[in-house]
Amino acid sequence: MPTTSIGGDERISKFKNKGKDLAKLREKRITECVELRKAQKENFFKRRNISLSSLPEDEALSPENGTVSFRIEDIIRDVNCDDRQAQTRGCQAARKLLSKDHDPPMKKIVDAGLLSRFVSFLSLDDEPTLQFEAAWALTNIASGTSWHTQQVVNHGAIPAFINLLTSPMLHIVEQAVWALGNIAGDGAAYRDVLIECNVIPALLAHISPDAPVGFLRNLTWTLSNLCRNKNPCPPMSAVNQMLPSLMQLLHLSDKDILSDACWAISYLSDGSDDRIDVVVKTGIVPRLVELMNNKELCVMTPALRSIGNIVSGSDLHTQMAIDAGVLSVLPNLLRHPKPTVQKEAAWALSNIAAGPCKQIQQLITCGLLPPLVEVLKNGDLKSQREAVWAVTNFTSGGNVEQVVQLVKSGALEAIINLLKVKDAKIILVILEAVNNMFLAAEKLGETERLCLFVEQLGGLEQIEMLQNHANEMVYQAAHNLIEKYFSDGDLEEVQVDAMQNGFVF
Amino acid sequence: MSMSLPTEPPTDGAAVTETEKKADEVVEEEEEEEEYVVEKVLNRRVVKGKVEYLLKWKGFSEDNTWEPEENLDCPDLIAEYLQKQKSAHEGKRKAVGDADGDESKSKKKKDDNEKLRGFARGLEPERIIGATDSTGELMFLMKKHSDEADLVPAKEANVKCPQVVISFYEERLTWHSYPSEDEKKEEKN
Repeated sequence: MPTTSIGGDERISKFKNKGKDLAKLREKRITECVELRKAQKENFFKRRNISLSSLPEDEALSPENGTVSFRIEDIIRDVNCDDRQAQTRGCQAARKLLSKDHDPPMKKIVDAGLLSRFVSFLSLDDEPTLQFEAAWALTNIASGTSWHTQQVVNHGAIPAFINLLTSPMLHIVEQAVWALGNIAGDGAAYRDVLIECNVIPALLAHISPDAPVGFLRNLTWTLSNLCRNKNPCPPMSAVNQMLPSLMQLLHLSDKDILSDACWAISYLSDGSDDRIDVVVKTGIVPRLVELMNNKELCVMTPALRSIGNIVSGSDLHTQMAIDAGVLSVLPNLLRHPKPTVQKEAAWALSNIAAGPCKQIQQLITCGLLPPLVEVLKNGDLKSQREAVWAVTNFTSGGNVEQVVQLVKSGALEAIINLLKVKDAKIILVILEAVNNMFLAAEKLGETERLCLFVEQLGGLEQIEMLQNHANEMVYQAAHNLIEKYFSDGDLEEVQVDAMQNGFVF
Repeated sequence: MSMSLPTEPPTDGAAVTETEKKADEVVEEEEEEEEYVVEKVLNRRVVKGKVEYLLKWKGFSEDNTWEPEENLDCPDLIAEYLQKQKSAHEGKRKAVGDADGDESKSKKKKDDNEKLRGFARGLEPERIIGATDSTGELMFLMKKHSDEADLVPAKEANVKCPQVVISFYEERLTWHSYPSEDEKKEEKN
């Protein structure tokens, strides 16, 4: 068949995109795209309106008329009647409503007066399905605001759930553990009520190597809520009961268990020295340092927080952390991509730097100065703030040689650059550091050299400007510095020789 | 008649411990009708320039109260408290507030597709359904699962889920037509 050029063009123009007007093609593409997007949007909106009756029935319950009613009137009727099947049906419907992702009708269920029935169902040991549904429904209500939790507690849920901890059916025990976790998590008051009711031994009895991971996850989380909250802190007797088990849980490998166990330790170590003391006496510190290196953020974060709390304790506590190797882990965390991790690491470092010379020396030996300076230069504001504290604490507790090392590492330059921040408190802390450095310089007879250095770094200019700062303490501190060290008229040119000691840069 | 020591167990009242702890106890206000004994100083705060202490009362496990400094006459207990605070080591600073919201949830709701979630978690791709810069910074509205959506800074999303961000932009690419360019191209064809 001969293909004339004309015929060819005609055919070609019918073939897909070739030969078509470019602008028209684009228009077509855009229109198609928009249509597709619109269609997707519709699907998205439609899915929201799926009626709950289409949810898969995961219980072996077959309702009489074939569909489960989610109307509150029907639920009330079912739950309140005497027939166990109807009660279970109603309870399950309530549970499903309360398990919705979006806007579960918690207040409606409470206002319908269903809570006392639900709590009464918890004691029906020969109706495990009913117990389970009621427990689940109550768990979800207790997961709401304080008001919701209070409603659950006021209807007698606490003793009922504690009794369920001895159920032979593990999924029911687990549900009770969850509910109790929500109640404990409401605050110190309910936490202590639960502790008074002897919930802790009942919970700990379930920790065993055979326990399923999911169960242990819930258990650990509930325990962590029993360690949580201050004013007041949990009673020491309770803490002492829980610590050995927390130790056990911390040696498992599931990340969710490790995460919540570490949070528990972080709550327990957040307090006075006697609190920190009981925690470190368990020998948990090496494991915590190990977990600071864990690749999961959800594990590493509370481990870091726990160690941070521990080094905010006594010098002895801090030494335990150092002996466990915290100084080799800290540099990585100071360079971590997540700003909050950097901040917490810098905070921990600042507390170690508030220790005695010996510990400051260990900071230097283990190479903590370079990452510290990096944070001062590149960190976000919150991290920089903690790093500044580290520098000042260092200058306050360190001996002369150590302060020289600090200056040589670039810390002085870095903090001078931070004098322009808006936070008056931080400026004060920086000025204190500078003052301490001059005190060290005085001991070496090197004040003039340091003055020159500060001036070279642009520090003199900054400090002079700070004499006009709005904050009284700032301009006072700045003025004092200038008066004390910078007011001998013009600085003489000092030849900087290479010497063994002193501020040689 | 035999002399016998009292064999009752100690109550929460001041009976047994009074003799041991007399040195530390507060001197009861004699003018008052009821006598309350301070067991311990728990905390300190300043309200409207006045110093107040949180007191644990002997015999009361709850009902700790804040009392103004001037009403108190338990200098030993106050000194003990202050000493404890000081020996929280100079230079050491305690943790301030929450771990920036990274903490474990204090309460958890058990969802319907609990089991499904377990598998789907981590595999479920997020989708961006909108963008705004009304906060001053470019933010994406990120759909997580079912009806939940989060506002996430673009900076974070660009690193965390670049493919998702690219899809978002690609879906919204539009070209504006430049007639001269098209003419040229047509001629080439």
